[in-house]
Amino acid sequence: MGMRKLAAIVGMATMVVAACGGGAATSAPSAGGASVAPSAGASAGASSSAAAGGDCTVGVSWNNFQQPRWAAHDQPNIKDTVEAGGGTYIDADANLSNEQQLTDVDTLISKGAKVLVLLAQDNKAILPALQKAKDAGIPVIAYDRLIEDPDILYITFDNVLVGKAEAQAILDKVPTGNYVLIKGDPGDPNAATFLPQGWDEAGLKAKVDSGDIKLLNGPDGTFTDAWKTEKAQSNMEAIIDKAVADGNKIDAILAENDSTALGVVGALTSKSYGFPPLSGQDGDPANLNNVALGKQYVDVFKNANELGKAAGAAALALCANPDLASLTLPDGLLDPTVAPTAGLAAKAFTTPGGTSVQSFILQPTPLTAENLQVAVDAGQISKEDLCKGVDAATAPPACK
Amino acid sequence: MTNVADAQPVSGQVEPPARTSIRGLVAQTEVDLRLFGMLLALGAILLTFNVLSGGKFFQPTNMVTLAVQAAGIAVIATGMVLVIVSRNIDLSVGSLVGLIAMTYALLMTDWLPALGIGADFPFRWVIALAVGGALGAAVGALQGFIIAYIGVPSFIVTLGGLLSIRGVVWYLSSGAAVSGLDPTFQLVGGGAQGSLGGTLTWALGIVGCLAVIALMINGRRQRRRFGFPLRPMWAEILIGAVGCIAILGVAAFANANLWPEGLANRVAGEQGWGAAPESGWKIPTGFPYPIILLLGVTLVMTWLATRRRFGRYVYAYGGNPDAAELAGINTRWTILKTYVVMGILCALAAAIASARLNGATLDVGQSYELYVIAAAVVGGTSFAGGIGSIPGAVLGAFVMQSLAYGLSFMGVNSPGQNVVAGIVLILAVGFDTFNRRRGGGR
Repeated sequence: MGMRKLAAIVGMATMVVAACGGGAATSAPSAGGASVAPSAGASAGASSSAAAGGDCTVGVSWNNFQQPRWAAHDQPNIKDTVEAGGGTYIDADANLSNEQQLTDVDTLISKGAKVLVLLAQDNKAILPALQKAKDAGIPVIAYDRLIEDPDILYITFDNVLVGKAEAQAILDKVPTGNYVLIKGDPGDPNAATFLPQGWDEAGLKAKVDSGDIKLLNGPDGTFTDAWKTEKAQSNMEAIIDKAVADGNKIDAILAENDSTALGVVGALTSKSYGFPPLSGQDGDPANLNNVALGKQYVDVFKNANELGKAAGAAALALCANPDLASLTLPDGLLDPTVAPTAGLAAKAFTTPGGTSVQSFILQPTPLTAENLQVAVDAGQISKEDLCKGVDAATAPPACK
Repeated sequence: MTNVADAQPVSGQVEPPARTSIRGLVAQTEVDLRLFGMLLALGAILLTFNVLSGGKFFQPTNMVTLAVQAAGIAVIATGMVLVIVSRNIDLSVGSLVGLIAMTYALLMTDWLPALGIGADFPFRWVIALAVGGALGAAVGALQGFIIAYIGVPSFIVTLGGLLSIRGVVWYLSSGAAVSGLDPTFQLVGGGAQGSLGGTLTWALGIVGCLAVIALMINGRRQRRRFGFPLRPMWAEILIGAVGCIAILGVAAFANANLWPEGLANRVAGEQGWGAAPESGWKIPTGFPYPIILLLGVTLVMTWLATRRRFGRYVYAYGGNPDAAELAGINTRWTILKTYVVMGILCALAAAIASARLNGATLDVGQSYELYVIAAAVVGGTSFAGGIGSIPGAVLGAFVMQSLAYGLSFMGVNSPGQNVVAGIVLILAVGFDTFNRRRGGGR
C-alpha cells in the first residue's frame, strides 16, 4: 500500500476518533493563544455541550488572558459562581487582538452562550460583535472594560475611583513638591482618561494650578507603550537624569499600575536615587513585596474575586430574566467594603461618551504598609512571598 | 635566527603613490570610512541633543545611563551580524531573552533555595549564568538544527520560536512578575555599585591604549614581513594617538561619574569608612559592568569573525553559499553554530536585563529582535548576505539608543520616539545602500 493511502486512512481515522471523543472544550483555543485554566483538572469538568447543569451557558471573551490576574482571580470566581448556580461556563482568549475577539464572540455564540461576558480589547472595535449578540438576543455584560452602548451591563471597579485612591494616598503623604507622572499605554482609555481623571479628582489638578505641586515631566506625564516594565524603567531613568541635571528633587511618583511601578523601582534602584512615595494598582505580588520593603508606597487593590462573583451572579440572573432594570445581586455575596456604594440593584452610570448604562461599580482597596494583611486574606499573595527580604526591624504589621 | 620582521624590506615591496588631496590623505590612513562615518553620526546626535537641552545632556551620568540601556541590544547585535551575514534571520531573540530572564529570576528566588542553596551561597550567580547560558545554547542549537539540517527557512523557525517561547515564559511563572534576585547578580546590571570603580577604570584605559599601540606596531611589522604596502608613518602615529586619547578620554569621562552622595554615606556607615571628607565622598564609578561585558563580547565576537575559521566560513557562506558548499565547508554545522552563539548572547543580555530590573516580568525582551536587527543593519550588515561588521553593529545599537534616550530626556513620548527611530533606520540604511551603489565599496 502506498504511503499516501496509508496517511489518508490514518488521517480519517484520527478525525473520526476525535469527533466521537470529546464534547465542546472549556476553552476554545484561538490562533493567538488559548486561555489556560491554572488548575488543569478543573477545566475538564462540567463543560461539555451536553450540559451538566441547567441551560444557562455563560460565554466569557477575555482580551488578555496572559495577564496573571484573570487566571488567578476573575476566571475561577466567575466559573464557580456560574456552576454553583447550575450554569455552564465557556470562554475564549483574544490575546490582545481585536480581530481575534470578533471571532471569539462568534464562536461563543455558536456554542450556545445565553449570556456574554466581554472584556473589550477596544471599546469601539467590539461594537460589531456586540451587534451580533444583540441580534441573537443575548444580553451582554461589559466586564471591567467599558463598551459604549446603552444596552450593556457594566460591571467594574470604577477606574476613576482607583486613580482617586492612588493620588489620595500620595497627596496625603506628599502635599507639596515635585511630582513625576508615569502613565500606561497611550491607546488605553484607562491610562489616558479614567485614571488621570481620578488623580485630578483627588486634588492633583488643583495643586498643580496653585503651584503647590510641580510636574517634572510635562503636564501630561510620560506614557509607557503596552504598559511594559522595561520601557517604564528606561523612561524613568531618563526622567531621573533630567531632574538631576535641572537640580530638581523628585518628591513623589504617580504610576498608574503595578507593571509600570515595577519599572520605576528598577530605575530608582539603578540610579541609587532612593524611593520617593510611589503609587500603583493591581496588587501584583512583586509590587506588594515592594510595599512591604518600603520601595512602593501604595498599591490600589481591586479584589477581582468579588468582581468575578458579581459577574457570575449577574450572568445567572440575566439568563433567568434579561431585564436589566430589575437586576439585583444576591445579598451576602460580596464583601461589604467592596460592594457598590449604591447598593445591590443595578444603577445607571454615564460613560465618558455620554451613554447611560446599567452598572455595578465596586470599590477598590488602597493597600499601604499598614493594611497589607488584606491582600494575604484575599489570597492575592502568601505571607512568605509578601515578606521576602523584609528586615525584621522595619517590617510592616502583616509581616510580624 | 634573525628576526625576519626586522630584515630589510623585500625588494618587490610596493609604496603607495603619494597623494596630497584630502581624500588621498584619508585613504592613506586606511580608516574604515563607514565606521568612522557612524562615529561622526553618533557624535552629531549627542551634540544636537546637548544643544537642545542647554548643555544638560552630555553629562557623565547621562551617558552612562545611555550606555547601560544600549548594552543588552548591542550584545545580541554582535551575534545577529553573523546570522544575517549567512543569509538567515533570528526573530526569536526577544522571547529567548524573556525566557532566560525568567529562568534567572526563578532560579534565584525559588529553585535554588528549594535545593538548599540559599542566599548565603556566594556563587549562586555563577550557577545562574551557567544554567542560563546552557539553556540559551540548547534552544539555539535546536533552532539551528531545524534550520540547517532539516532545511526549514530561518524566518519561519525563529518566528515559531518567538511565539512559542514567549508562551513558555507564561507557564513558568503563571504570568506573574518575579523579583528579588541575588545582590551579587544585581551588579551585572550596572548602577553605582555595579561598576569597576576609579582605579580599575584607569587601569583598563591604560591597557586599552597600550593595546592599540601594540596592534599598530604589530600590524606594521606583519605588513613589512609579507610585503604589503605600509601606511605612512604619520598616519600610523595619528591613528595610534587618536585611539589612545579616545580610550583614555572615555575612561576619564566614566570616572567623572560619581556615586550619589546618599549612597556613599550609607555604604560608608555600613562599612565603617569613618567621617566624610569636607566636599563629600566624590567616589568615581568608572565603567559599569554591563559595558565591560559588552566590550568583552565585542572583542571575542570580532576575533571569532575575523581570526577563526568559523567566522570566515560564515562570511564565505554568506558571500556565495554554493561556492562555500562546493569548497568543502561544512555549511550546516556552521549555520547551527551561529544560532548557538545567538543563544548564548541572549543569555548574557538577559542577565543584564533581569539584573537591572532585579527580577523578571512576562514582557522582558519583548521587541528586542526589531532593535537588534535595526542595530546590525544600521551598522552595515546587508540582508543580501556576506557583508557585515560587528563593531559597526555595536555602534548601530548606540546610535539607535542615543536617539531613544535623547528623546526621552527631552520629554518626547513613546509614539514620537518610534516615529523618529523608524525614519532614522530607513535613512541610515538608504544612505549606505546609495553609497555602495555609487562607490562600489566592499
